[in-house]
Amino acid sequence: MKLLYKLSAGSIFFLLLLSGYNAFSQTADKGTLSIGLNYFVNNNQVQYLTAKVKTKVNGKFQNVGGIALKLFLNKDSAGNLIGKVVTNEQGEATSMIPAGMSKLWKASVKHTFLASFYGDKKFDAATGDLTVGRAKILIDAGSDKTVTASVFEMKDTSWAPVKGVDVVLAVRRLNADLPINEKPTFTTDSTGKASGDFKRDSIPGDAKGNITLVAKIVDNDQYGNLSIEKKVPWGAKFVPVNLFNERTLFATRAKAPIWLILMATSIIIAVWGVLIMLVLNLFRIRKLAKEA
Amino acid sequence: MENSSLTIEKPMKSDALHEAPISAADEQIIQDLLPRKFTKSGWVWTGILMAICLVGAFAYYRQLRYGLVVTHMRDYVSWGIYISNFVFFVAISLVGSLITAVFRLAGVKWGAPLTRIAEMIAVAAIIFASIIIIVDMGSPERFYNLFLYGRIQSPIIWDVIVIATYFVISLLLLYYPLLPDIKILLGFKERSGARLYKFYSFLGSFWKGSHKQYLLSKKAINVLCIAIIPVAFTIHTVTSWLFATTYRPGWDSTNFGAYFIAGAFLVGAGSVVVAMYVFRRWYHLEKYITLNHFDKMGRMLVLLSLLYLYFNVNEFLTPFFKMKESESAYLKDLFTGSFAPVFWFAILTGIILPIIILVFKQGRRPLPMFIVGIMVVVGAWFKRYLIVTPTLLHPFLPMHDVPAMYRRYFPSWEEWAITMGSLAGAILIITLLCRIFPIIPIQETITERHHETTV
Repeated sequence: MKLLYKLSAGSIFFLLLLSGYNAFSQTADKGTLSIGLNYFVNNNQVQYLTAKVKTKVNGKFQNVGGIALKLFLNKDSAGNLIGKVVTNEQGEATSMIPAGMSKLWKASVKHTFLASFYGDKKFDAATGDLTVGRAKILIDAGSDKTVTASVFEMKDTSWAPVKGVDVVLAVRRLNADLPINEKPTFTTDSTGKASGDFKRDSIPGDAKGNITLVAKIVDNDQYGNLSIEKKVPWGAKFVPVNLFNERTLFATRAKAPIWLILMATSIIIAVWGVLIMLVLNLFRIRKLAKEA
Repeated sequence: MENSSLTIEKPMKSDALHEAPISAADEQIIQDLLPRKFTKSGWVWTGILMAICLVGAFAYYRQLRYGLVVTHMRDYVSWGIYISNFVFFVAISLVGSLITAVFRLAGVKWGAPLTRIAEMIAVAAIIFASIIIIVDMGSPERFYNLFLYGRIQSPIIWDVIVIATYFVISLLLLYYPLLPDIKILLGFKERSGARLYKFYSFLGSFWKGSHKQYLLSKKAINVLCIAIIPVAFTIHTVTSWLFATTYRPGWDSTNFGAYFIAGAFLVGAGSVVVAMYVFRRWYHLEKYITLNHFDKMGRMLVLLSLLYLYFNVNEFLTPFFKMKESESAYLKDLFTGSFAPVFWFAILTGIILPIIILVFKQGRRPLPMFIVGIMVVVGAWFKRYLIVTPTLLHPFLPMHDVPAMYRRYFPSWEEWAITMGSLAGAILIITLLCRIFPIIPIQETITERHHETTV
């Protein structure tokens, strides 16, 4: 009996231990998210927001995908909803600012974007915000190949030039923008203008020599990211060499290189000529039998 | 002797021939070397081969009916066991040029009794190389499009042209030296039977053995011997280019042409050794295929094995030393991974053990030579499998979103049946050719004996 008691007591203790372990595991901490917002406007027309969601794991930030966010303009309410987004593998999500919000946008010179995450099994609720002032950027290309960018901000009801803003003046290329000269950025003066000389004369453009100039403000605390483009005929005319219809090793049958056709045909004719001669030789041998 | 008017062509000093009544020694040679009817075991052998061919034909019927889906070739391994088999057949066919042409042009007299065997193997192999490439096509009824729309820039078209050329040359090289023998065969109507007699008459009744005919024939054989060597080199080089012109781990090699030719000579010589032993034993040809032949073929096999080993070292040592990221998975799979047992089996059985065995004189006796010949041929078949499959499983750019089964390859029963059927078919052709024609050139043997006695 004593042994039975001991076994029963041991079993109960073990079960309690297991349930306790289980109970502790239920209280595991959720992760904390950090939400960053960025505002973009291209050519003073297309406005959009990007959100970047991260979390800290072992002291290092890691991108978090699959996080559902709600983006708002100025306040967290249904009427101010810009859109609902879900972050991708890089923890990023993008949403255009709908045209229907233009009235709300024009009502003030400064706006705050809000991003709200309402929490899930893994992460606690989190929010992020970004305040930007209404601004615009213009670009002008002079006949002496000078590029000028003008930056304005909305003050009360009119556009006013902004001094001391760093502007990048560049040429759009395939993968990145190439500064128009060795200077990486230009700062606006009291008239809101920043100018630079274009020193990329030999740069290839399109078939007509057109290239695209770009003036942009990057990650500005007050205005976000603004950019504007302008096409100018300052590049070298680029005529692409298309080998598609040429005689090449990778072309169609009819476009085989002449040297290959000549070489292959002459070898085939030579070898098969010998073979045909050897077959005809058999007929000669047969004929000799008849003569004999 | 069945035909008392039978004469043979005897050599004269001017290398021309004159006809003379046959002597008792000549008569003995003729009787020894005339084709013989199948015995019971011969019929059983032929029946087994035909049965394997029929199973292969049924599997091919299934492939035609249901498509290439009956095979286990998928997006990764799109050239499976069929192409391995094709390369194997092309390799074996090269023996015709080695034994017949190279030996003849080099004045190697001892190889004369082996020429017919080599040519028969070459013809059978090249026929099935052509067939197996059509089997690999999903829609063989569109084969003619290859000729109508094929691009001369493609190594596949070069291969088609070269195979057709090599087939005709091999056929002519088999046929021309047969003409004097056919004349002898026509003297034994009762022994050969009416049908075969008719066939012989169709093939060579016009051969009278006159001086002019002899000169024309000799010239033609010489031209063929010269022509077949570059064509033989081309056929296997172009076959290697089917792989080497494709940018893949294991195939991206400038060594491939020479590597393939060395391997082809080895497997071809190995197959001749196997055939020598079988024919010698089956038809009691000990007087004609002597120990000396085995000894010399053994020495040649050692040389060819060493040559092939050298190319293998070239082929694998340099990429192994560098172990480039893009090729490491392929090389590791070959050396220590899932293909390692087959790889080391092929290297040991097909190259290294033959060298060790054949270096010793006792190893060059008929039975050990026969075993080594089998080892070389089997090792060579697996070597071809290793050239094709592991590379296809390790592309530079892996495919995404493919089922897991695509990343492995083991042939389906249809593929095995068709492959075995093709191998049986090639052996069946050799068997039938031996039933119809003398295995050892009769006229040439008599001429050689006369030369020896006059010298």
